[in-house]
Amino acid sequence: MASDPDARPTLAHRSVSNIRAGGQPSARDSTSGAPHTPLRPLSTSAFGSPSSARAEEEIIVIELGCRKLRVGFAGDSTPKRIVAFDSEHDKRAGDYRAWEPGYGHDWRKRMAGKAWGSDHELYQLDVRGQDLGLVGDKLERVLRDTFTRYLLVDSKARRISLVLPPAAPLPLLSSTLSTLFRNFQIPTISLLSSPVMATFAAGVRSGFVVDIGWNETIVTAVYEFREVRTWRTVRAGKKLLEETQKFLVNALQCRTAESQVEEAPTPKDIISFEECEEVATRMLWCKKSEKTPKQSNTEGLPTLHEADESDTPYPAEDSTPTPIHLTSCNPSKTIEVPFSQLAEPCETTFFETRYAPACFDDHELPLHLLIYRGLLQLPLDVRAMCMSRIIFSGGCSNIIGLRGRIFDEVSLLAQEKGWEVIQGKGADAYRKNPKLKRNASRQTNDGPIPTISQTDPSGASGEEAVPLDPAHAPADVDEVEEHIRQEKNYRTPVQGVLRVIDTLGPWCGASMATQLKVPALAMIERDIWLQQGVNGASRPNEVDVQAQQKQQRQSMGTGGLIRGQGNQATSWTLGVWGTV
Amino acid sequence: MSESCLINSTYDLPEDDDEDHAFDPRSPRSNYSLYPLEYLLYCVDCHQIRCPRCVSEELVTIYCPSCLFEVGSSSVKTEGNRCTRSCFQCPICVGPLAVQSLESAPEASLLSADNASASGPTGPWALTCSYCNWSSSEVGVKFDKPQGIFAQLSKLRNGSNTSADVPLTSAGDISPTKRDANMPEPESTRARFSALRSFYQSQLANSNTGSSMAGGMGDYGFSSPAALTRIMSIYSGSTSKPKNKATVMREADVPSEGFRTSNLDESEAISKLRAEGYDGTVTMEQAVSQVEEGAHFADELWPVASLLRTKRAKRCPACRHILSKPEAKVSNTRWRIRLVAGNHIPSVTIKPLPNPGAPPPSALAPLKPAQYLLTFKNPMFDSIKVTLATPATTPGRFSSKVTILCPQFTVGANSDDYDLNEVLKAEDRDQRDGRREDDGSHQVEAGKVFERGRNWVSIVVEVIPASLQIQPTPSILQKAGEPEPDLAPLREDEDILEIPMFVRLEWESEPSQDQVGIASSGKEKDAKEKRELAYWSVLGIGRISQE
Repeated sequence: MASDPDARPTLAHRSVSNIRAGGQPSARDSTSGAPHTPLRPLSTSAFGSPSSARAEEEIIVIELGCRKLRVGFAGDSTPKRIVAFDSEHDKRAGDYRAWEPGYGHDWRKRMAGKAWGSDHELYQLDVRGQDLGLVGDKLERVLRDTFTRYLLVDSKARRISLVLPPAAPLPLLSSTLSTLFRNFQIPTISLLSSPVMATFAAGVRSGFVVDIGWNETIVTAVYEFREVRTWRTVRAGKKLLEETQKFLVNALQCRTAESQVEEAPTPKDIISFEECEEVATRMLWCKKSEKTPKQSNTEGLPTLHEADESDTPYPAEDSTPTPIHLTSCNPSKTIEVPFSQLAEPCETTFFETRYAPACFDDHELPLHLLIYRGLLQLPLDVRAMCMSRIIFSGGCSNIIGLRGRIFDEVSLLAQEKGWEVIQGKGADAYRKNPKLKRNASRQTNDGPIPTISQTDPSGASGEEAVPLDPAHAPADVDEVEEHIRQEKNYRTPVQGVLRVIDTLGPWCGASMATQLKVPALAMIERDIWLQQGVNGASRPNEVDVQAQQKQQRQSMGTGGLIRGQGNQATSWTLGVWGTV
Repeated sequence: MSESCLINSTYDLPEDDDEDHAFDPRSPRSNYSLYPLEYLLYCVDCHQIRCPRCVSEELVTIYCPSCLFEVGSSSVKTEGNRCTRSCFQCPICVGPLAVQSLESAPEASLLSADNASASGPTGPWALTCSYCNWSSSEVGVKFDKPQGIFAQLSKLRNGSNTSADVPLTSAGDISPTKRDANMPEPESTRARFSALRSFYQSQLANSNTGSSMAGGMGDYGFSSPAALTRIMSIYSGSTSKPKNKATVMREADVPSEGFRTSNLDESEAISKLRAEGYDGTVTMEQAVSQVEEGAHFADELWPVASLLRTKRAKRCPACRHILSKPEAKVSNTRWRIRLVAGNHIPSVTIKPLPNPGAPPPSALAPLKPAQYLLTFKNPMFDSIKVTLATPATTPGRFSSKVTILCPQFTVGANSDDYDLNEVLKAEDRDQRDGRREDDGSHQVEAGKVFERGRNWVSIVVEVIPASLQIQPTPSILQKAGEPEPDLAPLREDEDILEIPMFVRLEWESEPSQDQVGIASSGKEKDAKEKRELAYWSVLGIGRISQE
């Protein structure tokens, strides 16, 4: 990588897709698995003993979510423990009422005065007015319990890698870091971003990460391990559970779907949150889209494993009653729901295809629309890479059939509309109007796929060459790229086709990255944090770019050792999380 | 809630130590800082109460709770936190699983005498639960031999050749394509993980060697694989040619590198869901107890190896003094050292003041004064001076009035060198004394101790429970700046009357060269040292009835 700086300026801008993978690890994106010497955090203590450099140190990886916490050691393939927050966690020590008979039936009393399901969240997304000390307390108790019972570690100093969604609120991050630093003997905490880690754990360098989580579905475009853009929608687990609850209450009261339109909100005390969640995780499934995308006519569209549905009756028409046992309602009851209806909550939560796309607000776009629009807004090269690296993560992506459905819907949209940014009647009229076309012979748009390499036909015919759309101009021959192509292990990256890739999940990515000593996005040291707190972090835009470049050059030239020392006195950041 | 619930709060966090702010047992955070007295330890060097949150721990023994086999900490690192012998829990219920032969044992009558000794039950074997009759053969898990179940199971689960870790190849220029041939497609998460990891490692190694060639002393990171290659190349003398090195890090794109495109066609799972129904799916509780996540149907459940447990020694985080240390042997449940706080701070018991006539009511009647007897019992061998403070009204929406009639008193010393007869005599005398004073002092009176014993003192606290009616304040009475009154319905446990009480202890003891509390009575007085300890505690009185 020392040879990088000279290589970079010569890259033509069109060839971003083939940008040298070993390229600049910028300060914001140091999570990349860029092939440089892994930077070792040198201890900043006065003595500078390199003891922290011992390889056998156990690093604990924590993935922080609103509902779940994953904790384990770096290098493990699965977290040692996955904690789901629930009301049992905030009991006083020595409160054994949970073992009293009839405790389970008292859930209505316990729930009184709280938001539905708030017991089960570590934090609310809206941190205004929230007791962040309480969040810290909850986190501490859970972590202490996990360390004691599952990780079997003592309270020796251990480094921690924290995987966070990139939009985690700053107060929350501050509270988390304070809790960790104060209550556990932790010398440093490194911050990793969960979509980047999900990409990493899928084995790719770019990706379109669709994280269907609890509060929100967050769609992040990651290009060469950099987060390019994010989009979000509230259509996620919380909404799904609310829909499930509505669905179950209706089934319980034997109301049909028609009669329940826009009534008063369903009372929350009929079925408990726990039971709704149980039903949602166990029984919900997702229908296939009504129109399946055309196959293989347009080259590049999914050569999917869209296999035989002929031998079994299509489940969407199946009205076999499926019994579901509900115990939290009074009296407990077994309801029988037609199997096909069990797909309804998913339908209303994630898709709502019966409404026109125009009637959704920005924060509640259906998933497929969000993904499509997201892809559409990306730059051409980034889109080409991202669209063939769609990655689903998050708890709700485990719902049977959901991923396939989203993918089908997105490919349908792409088929119908292409990748034309300007849409609508006016644009259509413009496109259809032959008078407005300068070169009618040419197709305005050759299919939904941005194909990169094109031998240009217009070069031969003289007259038509003038009004040539620059997008179709032949790319300049790029020496660097040529050079790369000739390399031994070079394979052309798949791009331009819609494709979904499996990831091992952000936690596994972080576990792997930490073990491989990939530098984190931000690293916070205990002493500095305890001295300065969150306000000590310099904002990313305040960071002196020149100093950083110098630093980088240093790191390139002489390895991590000097960098570690040079870095010491300068400012530290919280990475993307520090942006206010 | 019981009447005599002493809960002690300790403050270890500086941010909590809000002197001018009364402790609020209602705040949700209090749940995390309150502990019953039995949970607390006491550091005799710092003279501080230590709660489970403010101790540092050390591992003494790691063992399996099921087979009581001791496990070394190094093998925990390599093998994980679960028992690697044959201890398994049922994935359906939590019962222990036993290894049983799938072949029914041959009946005794059929066995002729000569081969009876030779034939025991034969394989294949399966793990079965004796409680719910679950058998691992239901999920297709059978074993060839009845020993070493853990190893057999992980082989079944993770495939045979990808055992726990694929050795970390740091050899730089193994072309990944070479390995493709002999490595099968990784199926399990673990296999994929290690495949992906070795892919990244080879990539890192490849590109690192390339760079380190260019920049002479390019690499000080001894941990990086490149360093090893560099050193090796010094010794071997053969310099690898830089032009062979890949400078591009590529993406994984074959399954053997851990790459996998999603199988989006889940119609099989849908029809399975339809066939199996609600009972065929995994409850969340079962899913949580699984070692790896992702089970959805009941036949995806694996036996759960039992989790190891630890014995821990606890130290004071400030002075490293040992607070508690268990016996190292697994089967021994004794403690070698255990400095419980109950030996150093007085215990408090609460009971309603015996009211001649009416039996004590089950719940507190709102707006009716009730008197409770607080008994402080001194476990120390020095007499202590106790000062109590409570806010006049309890915090929260429903504030009850609280009055401690005698907030300052002295509790006599405990002693262990007494003769039973003497004690009885003394108590007799006390009683006589009491009876003498009885005319005056057994009535409830402000500023006076209600009852006193050798090492205990009872005082009276009077409460006027609040009414639990939720009514809006009349608009006349509302002040302009006041926030809207909270008219939400009664929340969980809001009807419990809890009194936050600040306890301050002062006593004199000899300097702490030796153990405090042992043989203090014989020492001379002038060497004594003044000590004090203060903490918030919460007294749970009972529920207020809602009429």
